[in-house]
Amino acid sequence: MATPKSMTLSSTTFAKLSPHPYLLANLQPADSSTTPTRTNGRQPSEARTPYINTSSLSHAHGSAVVRNGDTTVICGVRGETILTSAIPNYRAASAVDNSDSAQDEARDYDLLVPNIELATGCAPNFLPGVPPTTLAQTLSTRVYSLLHSSKLIDVNRLRIYPEEVGGGKSTGDGDEKMDEAEESDEYAVSEDKEVKAYWVLYIDVLFISFDGNPFDTAWTAILAALRDTKLPQAYWDADREMVLCKRSPAKMSRLDLRGLPVTCTAAVFTAKEKQKKGNGSYWVLVDPDRLEEGLCDETVTVVVDQLSGGTKLLGISKHGGTIVGPELMKTMVATAESRWEQIRAAIE
Amino acid sequence: MTTTTTSEPEALLSHLHSADGSATFSYAGYTIVGAVNGPIEAQRRDELPEEALVDVVVRPAAGVGGTRERHLEGLLQSTLRQIILVTNFPRALIQITLQVTVAPENEYVNTKVIQANTNLPILPALIQTAILTLMSAAIPLTATLTSVVIAAIAEEGSTREIINPTVREVEKSCSLHVFAFTSHGDLILTQSEGEFTMKEWEDVLASAQRHCCPSTSGDVNMSDDLASGADFGTFTRSVLEAKIASDLYWK
Repeated sequence: MATPKSMTLSSTTFAKLSPHPYLLANLQPADSSTTPTRTNGRQPSEARTPYINTSSLSHAHGSAVVRNGDTTVICGVRGETILTSAIPNYRAASAVDNSDSAQDEARDYDLLVPNIELATGCAPNFLPGVPPTTLAQTLSTRVYSLLHSSKLIDVNRLRIYPEEVGGGKSTGDGDEKMDEAEESDEYAVSEDKEVKAYWVLYIDVLFISFDGNPFDTAWTAILAALRDTKLPQAYWDADREMVLCKRSPAKMSRLDLRGLPVTCTAAVFTAKEKQKKGNGSYWVLVDPDRLEEGLCDETVTVVVDQLSGGTKLLGISKHGGTIVGPELMKTMVATAESRWEQIRAAIE
Repeated sequence: MTTTTTSEPEALLSHLHSADGSATFSYAGYTIVGAVNGPIEAQRRDELPEEALVDVVVRPAAGVGGTRERHLEGLLQSTLRQIILVTNFPRALIQITLQVTVAPENEYVNTKVIQANTNLPILPALIQTAILTLMSAAIPLTATLTSVVIAAIAEEGSTREIINPTVREVEKSCSLHVFAFTSHGDLILTQSEGEFTMKEWEDVLASAQRHCCPSTSGDVNMSDDLASGADFGTFTRSVLEAKIASDLYWK
């Protein structure tokens, strides 16, 4: 193919000089004896194995480090409380306590605050001292949308109610009491009480090193960190008119996540570098690295969840080209299903 | 501004005199003013040696653009770059500015001024404005685009599809889908969120295809309720025909 045999170029030089023919030559080798692979040695539908380490940050309520090839991400979740009296346009939600208005609380009062930062030096194209790049802003928006549209976090868990009367002495020293075993699970019993405050989850994602597929890695990190998150037991103290937390670590409780949505991104690499009739040969490269992302116009992201038996789709996003149609989308979903198994194995 | 699926789209072409091309498009509660400047000189650090740089700027109805607008810009940029003949203008810049002037409001709740809500329903209006604006500027294109947003609402075990849903319907929907097709009938952009199955997605895609590319299926299928709403392909054609006819009136 395009590989010049006469010229003596090392493969790294070739990759730097003309990346598109380099990747094409790898995917479409000139002699049939070599198996076509991507430049990173993977098969087109082969994703990198993720490694997940949780609870490594001591000051966050939950954290995770996710390594996916050379893309490494750290995510910390920190809960802060906000009084309902401090929320503008607050409407008491308990009057209309059905399932779809419950979701609006998280959205209306901004109870989930994801932020994604691409650290200087995690890849050569991120310069120091600049405002957040378009990529960082786009990622933040996509993560924010998916957090809300997948209804991952039960907003019931974020509500803070007045303290149970009779559950321990509520006379001022509630947060010093370590042995209030009798008031268990007041999140469940206090349905008809007035919500006094909310937990706001600040979800911060930092890219330590960047080698493609930022959205999947960031989402895996967020998922792992949220599963790891333990919030202290908080209650509204009517006497002091403030939110107090129980000090006992035994009172910390996990967030209950609804399902396990896993994202799977692929980029479409076309044989023709220039435009674009759609009839040339193409490869769908799952979990693309930075070189591949730079050479592909079209990307597909599928969000699947199989926790409740069958495959549930929570999002499909495709832009930048016309190659992926309904047929290819089906194979994409199948790829995402196997990716789901892989991520679940790593996360549990 | 209430939204109805029966409202007809309206457009005004080339009404801004300083821009190379401009259009105002209003449909389904949205009004968007678009302007195109191009091909113009690109900044040295941005210019691409072999093709034109396409720059899309989206400005919201209130406030300054935030992360949501960056995301929309990214989607529009990668889509429009596919249909603009960028290789005809190496090292040039084609800048598309889209200013939202009216966005539909939800009468049921107090919406926040800067809506960080779902960003999908505005996409078809933005795409359509961009296409009209590009044609007003006579930028060479390989194809035009038609786009539609569809909400799927669960009702007694079955799902009902609503084309161009209102804000209230978007809120109630279990999934929301945006599709954009080229005039050749290829799917160029799709964004879906909510909870759905592959079967449902294919059904919604089929009705979007019927809506956006009616020529492939014939007019017979258009008798059902999905026929409501506008066919943007025909609309774009008629708007341009009217504009050309009025411009060439002196002949």
